[in-house]
Amino acid sequence: MKKFSEQASQDLFQKGLITENQFNEIQTYKSLQIFSLNAELKLFLYLSVILFTSGIGILIYDNIDTIGHIAILSLLLIVITVCFFYCFKHSKGFEKEETKFEHPVIEYLVLAGNILTCIFIGYLQFQYKPFGEHYGLATLVPTIVSFFCAYYFDNKSVLTIAITGLAAYVGLSVTPQTLLGNNDFYASQSLSYSAVILGVLLILWTIYSRKISLKTHFGLIFLTFALHIISIAAISNLLNYDIFIAMIFAVVLGASTYYFYKASYDYKAMSLYVFVIIYAYVGGNILVFRIFENIDFSELFTLIILGLPIYFVGSIILFIKLIKNFHKEIAI
Amino acid sequence: MILFNKQLLDNEALNDEADKLYKGGFIGKKQKKIIEKELPVLKSQHNILVRLGFFLLGSFLYSSICGTISLLGLSGENVFFEICCYLFAVVGFVGAELLAKQNYHNHGLDDAFILGALLNLGIAVGITTDGYEIVIALFLAAGSMFMFLRYLYLWAMLVFCLAVSALLFFGMFEFGQIGKAILPFVTMIFAAVFYFFTKEKIKRLKVIYYYNGLLLANSFCLILFYFSCNYLIVRELSVELLGTDVKPGSDIPFAYFFYAFTLIVPLIYLTQALKTKDRIMLWISFLAITLSIYTIRFYYSVLPIEVALTFGGIILFGIAYFSIKNLKEKESGLTFRPDRINHSDALLNAEALIVASAFGMKPEVKPETSPMEFGGGGFSGGGSEGNF
Repeated sequence: MKKFSEQASQDLFQKGLITENQFNEIQTYKSLQIFSLNAELKLFLYLSVILFTSGIGILIYDNIDTIGHIAILSLLLIVITVCFFYCFKHSKGFEKEETKFEHPVIEYLVLAGNILTCIFIGYLQFQYKPFGEHYGLATLVPTIVSFFCAYYFDNKSVLTIAITGLAAYVGLSVTPQTLLGNNDFYASQSLSYSAVILGVLLILWTIYSRKISLKTHFGLIFLTFALHIISIAAISNLLNYDIFIAMIFAVVLGASTYYFYKASYDYKAMSLYVFVIIYAYVGGNILVFRIFENIDFSELFTLIILGLPIYFVGSIILFIKLIKNFHKEIAI
Repeated sequence: MILFNKQLLDNEALNDEADKLYKGGFIGKKQKKIIEKELPVLKSQHNILVRLGFFLLGSFLYSSICGTISLLGLSGENVFFEICCYLFAVVGFVGAELLAKQNYHNHGLDDAFILGALLNLGIAVGITTDGYEIVIALFLAAGSMFMFLRYLYLWAMLVFCLAVSALLFFGMFEFGQIGKAILPFVTMIFAAVFYFFTKEKIKRLKVIYYYNGLLLANSFCLILFYFSCNYLIVRELSVELLGTDVKPGSDIPFAYFFYAFTLIVPLIYLTQALKTKDRIMLWISFLAITLSIYTIRFYYSVLPIEVALTFGGIILFGIAYFSIKNLKEKESGLTFRPDRINHSDALLNAEALIVASAFGMKPEVKPETSPMEFGGGGFSGGGSEGNF
């Protein structure tokens, strides 16, 4: 690759597309022969946190009756204290903008400390029931801790934990695998409404944060969660046998598509845009089937099959246009 | 043999370089725009999500075309079932050709047609030969090589590598017991020979077009080499294929060789990767090390899983911490500083997603109302498949 990369910059220079100064700068940089292990080592830190916390979690789960409770709790508390001690020591304090630790390791200590805190509170609740029968509170406290950590130390991973905690408090499971896999409880009516409300609240919080310019780079994460929660809840309910409820959620889906379509241009976020149009396309198709479900098509069956390729060609042309348009808009 | 306009392909390489330079901060945004305007390229999608979306749409289109053909052919004789997959494969080849003529390359649509054509080719040959593996592998290898050479399609190279390996395996099975017994060694030699062959080819390469495909084949050989004599795989396969039962206290023949191989090869990969600054080899070595640890744990689990996880986490943390400490201040060569030209932080962006999957909180109380039956479930995604 080196050979071809050198060739390419040489060609760019010869075509007059980069200046001689730039070309020389590039040559000097390349002669340093940098081989960066940045991503790899960060990934190691990350994996180590995941391994360690999973190990601790299983350890507690398996030995919940044999080792003394006080022993486990105090051991956890010590590790948590050590983690947060280093975090606070190296942190520059709360800032509204995006901040970074000088030492990359600290970021992962925040994550470890936070996950362990959640385990600690969960264990405490399981054993001593400080929150009594208020299971919601036992979810809410770790959520608040996570939100605090996420905002104070500026940590996106912790923020996602906090959002899943918030959803769990409402009664939803929004981890990626449940969103994609079996989310059968969206079929329960009240949960669908709370999902939509939660999504709207997340959007409102994003708009407010943007206004007071508080950690604006978190916006995309909030919006991503909001988009998926609202859209999946709405699409599941489009299949509701009560046509009235289905229509309500069709309106919800339409509104969310409109908002997120605008928002994805605003944030220049392809990851939002793609899912917006996919959800809209799926929702639209289901809606068409709902509208025509009572009409007998058996006579026209052949015609429909023959027409499908044309329909898909049309969809493809539409999508190509949409994507092209998006690329053009965000390039400005 | 390449269908695409060479000028456009050259521009593609230059544009990629310009993109890297822009991300590294060597050139400005305006300059990059000028370069993009000056050098027109093929229609491709760099965003993986968009490409996946178009791949899905392309698959829908492909299967709907096949559905139409089936509908017309269904009224015919039984013969249709024997030739239908050939017809579908032809549809795939024609579609790939048409898309490539329109300058679609790595766009998602062409992925659907090329992979669909190969899949149908495999099924068609399978039906004709009653599932004779060697012939299927042979046809697949030929088909995928054609796809790679003509459309420069990278994944076709992967299909080719897999098909050739399958050809080797099933060819060895033809020799009966002896063939099965010496399979690991033959595979090892095969992988080694092709590794050096592709490496030499890459060195001699004058133009960039085939570079990525050769690199893929090269990496595939590295992986195949490690797998060929990994203790876990050899032992499980020998139980499976030869029917030998490994009793406690006994071991498979040449066990020490396989143990040594399992332990030494990942380390050789690691040191070689760091020495030659080869990132792909580095990643393969990480995976190989993981698999080696798993191999040992599979037969000798000294520690219970939770203790192993906890200590593994601590050790990994230590390794990463001290490596960072040592490499942090270095300005050249091996370093912790992010490279301005070759970013590899796509993985780090997925971090938050992994955390949410692994540690996301779930509601403690399940909703009491049972999920109600919903009526129109059968309509979901109706008509997206061509088979009925």
